Amino acid sequence: MSKYLILGASAAGISAARAIREQDGGGEITVISKDERVYSRCMLHYIIGGQRSEDETRFIEDDFFEQHNIRWLPGREAVKLDSAGKKVQLSDGETHRYDQLLIATGASSVLPPVENLGRGKQVRSLRNLEDARDIIRLSGGTDTVAVIGAGLVGMDAACALAQRGVKVTVVEVAGHILPLQLDQRAAASYERLCKKHNMEFIFNDMVASVVLDEDDNVQGLKLKSGGTVPCGMVVVAAGVKPNIDFLRDTPVDTGRGIKVNEQQQTSVAGIYAAGDVCESLESFTGQVMPTPVWPSAVRQGWVAGSNMAGRPVRLEDNFAFQNSMTFFGLSSVSFGTINPPGESFRVLVDDRGDAGYKKVILQDGRIKGAILQGDISAAGILGALVKKGINISGLENRVFELSYADFFAQKENGEFYFK
Amino acid sequence: MKRILINRELCQGCRNCQLACMAEHTEAKSVLMLDLEDPANQARNFVEADLDGRPVPLLCRHCDDPACATACMSGALRKNPDTGLVEHDRVKCAGCWMCVMSCPYGLIRPDQLAGRTAVKCDFCVTRPMPRCVEACPTGAITLIELESKGRLTKAGLPGQSLAREVEM
Ligand SMILES: Cc1cc2nc3c(=O)[nH]c(=O)nc-3n(C[C@H](O)[C@H](O)[C@H](O)COP(=O)(O)OP(=O)(O)OC[C@H]3O[C@@H](n4cnc5c(N)ncnc54)[C@H](O)[C@@H]3O)c2cc1C
Ligand code: SF4
Ligand code: SF4
Repeated sequence: MSKYLILGASAAGISAARAIREQDGGGEITVISKDERVYSRCMLHYIIGGQRSEDETRFIEDDFFEQHNIRWLPGREAVKLDSAGKKVQLSDGETHRYDQLLIATGASSVLPPVENLGRGKQVRSLRNLEDARDIIRLSGGTDTVAVIGAGLVGMDAACALAQRGVKVTVVEVAGHILPLQLDQRAAASYERLCKKHNMEFIFNDMVASVVLDEDDNVQGLKLKSGGTVPCGMVVVAAGVKPNIDFLRDTPVDTGRGIKVNEQQQTSVAGIYAAGDVCESLESFTGQVMPTPVWPSAVRQGWVAGSNMAGRPVRLEDNFAFQNSMTFFGLSSVSFGTINPPGESFRVLVDDRGDAGYKKVILQDGRIKGAILQGDISAAGILGALVKKGINISGLENRVFELSYADFFAQKENGEFYFK
Repeated sequence: MKRILINRELCQGCRNCQLACMAEHTEAKSVLMLDLEDPANQARNFVEADLDGRPVPLLCRHCDDPACATACMSGALRKNPDTGLVEHDRVKCAGCWMCVMSCPYGLIRPDQLAGRTAVKCDFCVTRPMPRCVEACPTGAITLIELESKGRLTKAGLPGQSLAREVEM
């Protein structure tokens, strides 16, 4: 009987556990997680904003572990890997043997090298449930919060805090919010909405230091430009790094994350990795890179679990250049390239002001990027065309009305596909 | 599992399937009483025109590898291993539109009324046959029976050849 050990109980780890159980009814599956609970990180800002309780962020069935006969050991972490002895040592002192190991330990927020950022008592990132709890508690003690970084997590945190009624100032080094997900036009709609909700933005500037009192309480930010932002709390959203510290001095090969092949196998036989902790072949760019998004983690976990249990499958559709977001009721979806990178790209725009905005970037008859804001109902079709690199020559003038009717192809079993 | 097979050549674009879908998801379940102006009434199936203006019925595939469920970060979307149906739980749904972004065929959408939760085909689970299939007057959409791995075992409606074995 095979002994499967999974480190991490989030998108990738849970998906792998499902895949293993589907394939191997009798194998012994143990899941270890630092998290005390199973919850979706993508919903942490709903807890802060008051839309969801902690229980409502659970993304698995109530009886998931019992139903699938999986042993789950929460609240402890892997501290050491002995790949020769096929053992993992945990923070509680116990050691677990495995035949097949999955590392799905995800990522942690990074603190940029800003003076006093590490010392301030009211400085947090948003990655774990504990962070969300802290942010709620600390935001009760102040009415002004600064958010560093206007990426997706930064904006999630900022808007959720604004919904709690605190004054939020966002500092971003680029010229507009969500610079990797939206162009200036689409970002501007959100900036206007945010300002109506008592938020402020500082663009093209960086934080030089955090101003603290003698007890390390946050008083404000000093900016590179010389400006200051008074605040009683700071939320840092400056990106993530993989949780791979416990792999130091092991033969598991790492770059910007654990290196894996298309079966999610690491450089060591019997050890797999999936999700935010690894770097993998991304579908849109054709490059090996971290793909820190939920669908990639689920897919990679499924590929890893399937292979661990003896069903050989390869990673496909590892599409990380897709985003969906909603702030203050306005939704957007974007794919691929956000701004035309050169002369050879054609840009088609359908701008209806407040009623919506659509943009497509074309090169040689293929859609290289798209932004939809407002009406996003048929976004997936554009995503598929970007991801698959399908030639839409002849359909350009109906690019915003495209539906699957334009590509209809059906197998005998009724499945659709793209020719 | 069952799936709705599409024969686009037979489709006349009458949209009876859409009306049936809308009616089935109202309390009265009646096409006659259906208020077409009310955005709460939203079809989960579509009839779209292609480049030449010919109608194509488009219905959720309850995919073998459903991109919508892979993307769903709340656990609201799940492929039921017993029925093969991709089910959506409105209570769990967070309206994040990861599914809308991910379905390659555009068959799961935000609800028109409040824009809070996703809306997709539920295969009319309480009925022996999805109402759209029953309502189609031309046979453009019919029910087929598949083995768990997506192999076709038999086609369901009268007039169709039964027990067709097709390799994928
Ligand atoms: C606020 C927020 C919003 C987001 N929104 C979106 C979104 O809308 N769409 C999207 O695609 N993505 C979103 N993401 C990103 C998404 O959450 C991640 O891509 C996804 O959670 C990655 O899953 P994972 O399983 O790889 O790792 P993680 O979710 O990071 O989970 C890691 C698991 O490993 C455990 N662990 C860590 N270290 C150890 C150890 N040493 N030993 C044992 N266990 C360990 C943890 O406790 C956890 O269970 C968001 C993230 C955040 C923070
Ligand atoms: S909504 Fe789309 S991806 Fe999901 S099962 Fe239906 S056709 Fe497949
Ligand atoms: S909108 Fe609802 S069903 Fe769709 S991915 Fe988000 S939570 Fe899941």
